[in-house]
Amino acid sequence: MSELARVEPLPQDGSADHTVVLSVTGEIDLSNAEQVRDAIGAALPVEAAVLVVDLSGTQYLDSAGIAMLFRLAERLGWSRQELHLVVPPDAPIRAAIRITHLDTVITVHDALA
Amino acid sequence: MAPETGQTASRSSSGAAALLSRREPVAYAAALLVLAATYYIGARVGLTLSLVEQNVTPLWPPTGIAVAAFLLGGRRLWPAVTLAAFAVNLPISATLVAAAVTAVGNTLAPLVAVVLLDRVGFRRQLDRHRDALSIVFLGALASMTVSATVGAGTLAASDAITTDQLPSAWAVWWTGDAMGVLAVAPFLLCLPLFGELPDWSPARWLEGASILVLAAGTTAWAASSDVQMLFLVLPLLGWAAWRLQLRGAAPAALVVSLVVTWSAAREHGPFAHGTLFEQMFTLQSFNACVALTSLFLAALVSERNRSAAELAGAASELEDRVQRRTAELSAANQRLLQEIHERSEAQEQLSQEEARTRREHEIAATLQRSLLPDRIPQVPGVAVAARYVPATGDMSVGGDWYDVIQLPDGAVGLAIGDVAGHGLSAAATMGQVRMALRAYAVQDPSPVAVMTGVHHLVSNLPTSVMVTVTYLVLDPGTRTLRFTNAGHPPPLLFGGGESTYLEDGLSPPLGVTPDPTFTEVTHEVPAGATLVLYTDGLVERRRVSIQEGLDRLVVESAGREGSDVDVLCDHLLTALVDRDNVADDIALVAVRPAAPVDGPLELVLPAESRMLVQARRALRQWLRDSGVTAEDEGDVLLASGEACANVVRHAYAAAPGEMRLHATLHGDDLEVTVIDTGQWRAPADRGGGWGLQLMQGLMDDVDVDRTARGTVVRMRRRLRGGTA
Repeated sequence: MSELARVEPLPQDGSADHTVVLSVTGEIDLSNAEQVRDAIGAALPVEAAVLVVDLSGTQYLDSAGIAMLFRLAERLGWSRQELHLVVPPDAPIRAAIRITHLDTVITVHDALA
Repeated sequence: MAPETGQTASRSSSGAAALLSRREPVAYAAALLVLAATYYIGARVGLTLSLVEQNVTPLWPPTGIAVAAFLLGGRRLWPAVTLAAFAVNLPISATLVAAAVTAVGNTLAPLVAVVLLDRVGFRRQLDRHRDALSIVFLGALASMTVSATVGAGTLAASDAITTDQLPSAWAVWWTGDAMGVLAVAPFLLCLPLFGELPDWSPARWLEGASILVLAAGTTAWAASSDVQMLFLVLPLLGWAAWRLQLRGAAPAALVVSLVVTWSAAREHGPFAHGTLFEQMFTLQSFNACVALTSLFLAALVSERNRSAAELAGAASELEDRVQRRTAELSAANQRLLQEIHERSEAQEQLSQEEARTRREHEIAATLQRSLLPDRIPQVPGVAVAARYVPATGDMSVGGDWYDVIQLPDGAVGLAIGDVAGHGLSAAATMGQVRMALRAYAVQDPSPVAVMTGVHHLVSNLPTSVMVTVTYLVLDPGTRTLRFTNAGHPPPLLFGGGESTYLEDGLSPPLGVTPDPTFTEVTHEVPAGATLVLYTDGLVERRRVSIQEGLDRLVVESAGREGSDVDVLCDHLLTALVDRDNVADDIALVAVRPAAPVDGPLELVLPAESRMLVQARRALRQWLRDSGVTAEDEGDVLLASGEACANVVRHAYAAAPGEMRLHATLHGDDLEVTVIDTGQWRAPADRGGGWGLQLMQGLMDDVDVDRTARGTVVRMRRRLRGGTA
């Protein structure tokens, strides 16, 4: 509640040590996109191979958020890290992802595995 | 001067009286002896001056001696006079009895003289003309009729003279005795004055001696000359009286009288011819002139001197008094000046203090003003109006405050509170508390979290202070109100014909208990209802109970849910507060969540990125109230949000501007228009490409009209889900 969006790590089963899952709840817009990116970057250990960002709880994602995710994926690519998104099919942000073809660059899952 | 002389005289006479008192019989006897001897000697001298064989004596000194002795030593010296007179008369009287009777007469005359003089208040200093008159007419002429009558009568009775001779014998006796008094008594009376009056300087003594010699010489020469030159003596007597008064005139007169009488007895000069009567008449006239001249002149001059001295004394006293008065006046003047100076200093100090007080008040008022929100943030979906009315009293700037905080999630935080106390320190504390509350609210808007944070701040202030505060979070979308109240008057919620004071969620004021428990309560705000927050100044007035104030607030607000919140605030202040006499500061906030729209949505917001969420919230509320489905809602929100974000990003350079959002719904046709008045800059590379792409992808039709006056983005969509 303290921020427009909140970035939190999700607990792991222990099976995938190299995978980090973060959930973003709230809304991402022009005003906080960079903060969200910084929060994700801060929460990501360098040894992690895969970053899963769960956007199930994200109510709003605008073009600034989309651009942020693109750049995040690009940056992780340089360090041989993969970015995955989780966006349920009926999520309000699904339209934005579809229209901007974000799902062609970043793997988008309907749900956490 | 005169009283001084009088004192000296009375002291001296009382000294003489003491000397001659009966308690000192030796001194009395000695005085008697001296007087008797002097009287006898005076008589012997007198006899040498007799014109006719020891019988007709024109000047009889013993009478003067007796008068002077009685005046100086008292009448009880009479025995000496009686004895001496008897002794003198015995050889020249026919019989023993005649001598005794004559002696009695000689004693009675001076006694009568002294009694008469005492009666008229005679002063032996002879310094007043009435004293001169007294001694001439009473002491000499009147009194001496006694001795003359007794003496002449005795002579006739003892057949020493014939009855025919009686008148002339009487006249001779009378004039002799009177002249004795006039010539001798003043001289004797002047002698004590040498000790009583201020001492003569040697020059004075020389002058006095010169006058005596000249008078004696002149008299002797004139009296022996055939030419009538005796009047030449008179200027000398005048000189003596003028210069030396009685002490100069009396001796001179005595000497002159003695010399002249002696000459007459020897029938020299003017007295060589004529009958005895003529000789007698001339002599006595002259002696009378001498005595009167010297006595009167001396008395007059004494009087004049005394008057002059008194005048001088009075003048000098006057001068003294003037000087004293002047000194007093100048001292008073000095005191007055000092007082004026002190008063003006005090005045200055007072005005300095006043200025300090006024300055402090100004600072407190400025601080108070600067600490209150300079503008109420525009929160979509919520109408907010606030008022702050400072107290009219001088130092009554208080610690009242209110705050409207736009929270990141689109809700609005409301705070109203009061720091106990007045003046600079209360205002300063209020500022700290308000800022802290803002900071806590942005971090975590939960009422309990915010209140706990503020409680910690208040507990750790250097001075203990009591703060009442209500903190509320209003979600305009859901119209839910969450709040907690630390000892503040309860918020009023009214609308739909009902008024409720929200009295739950209450805890003690901050700064009172070390570990308070805050409770959060939630209320639903009915559509169209209004929330009124206030400080006690609004409901608390002198001689009026708080309950009465609360009741009046309910009455005055009831039925006004339709009026604008600003109008409502003004009405409440007008109805409840005497604007000219505000005893305590008043803070007042009226909040009303927007009623469900029944028409187009109009939003005007600052073109800032943090306002985007507000725009979305308002639009979402409008869409929901308009019955738009969730599917359409998400798409419309995103498309509109992109249009707004573009305004924020591109429309305005450094200067702030506004974005306007206009939404209409006709049937299933939704139109959203986003307008700015700026000039678009080149699209930045921050997701720029996707903004328009998203709008076009989400809406059926997007029209962007860029002009020099601004840009209008018009988007249309036919609702997929229709409207409920």
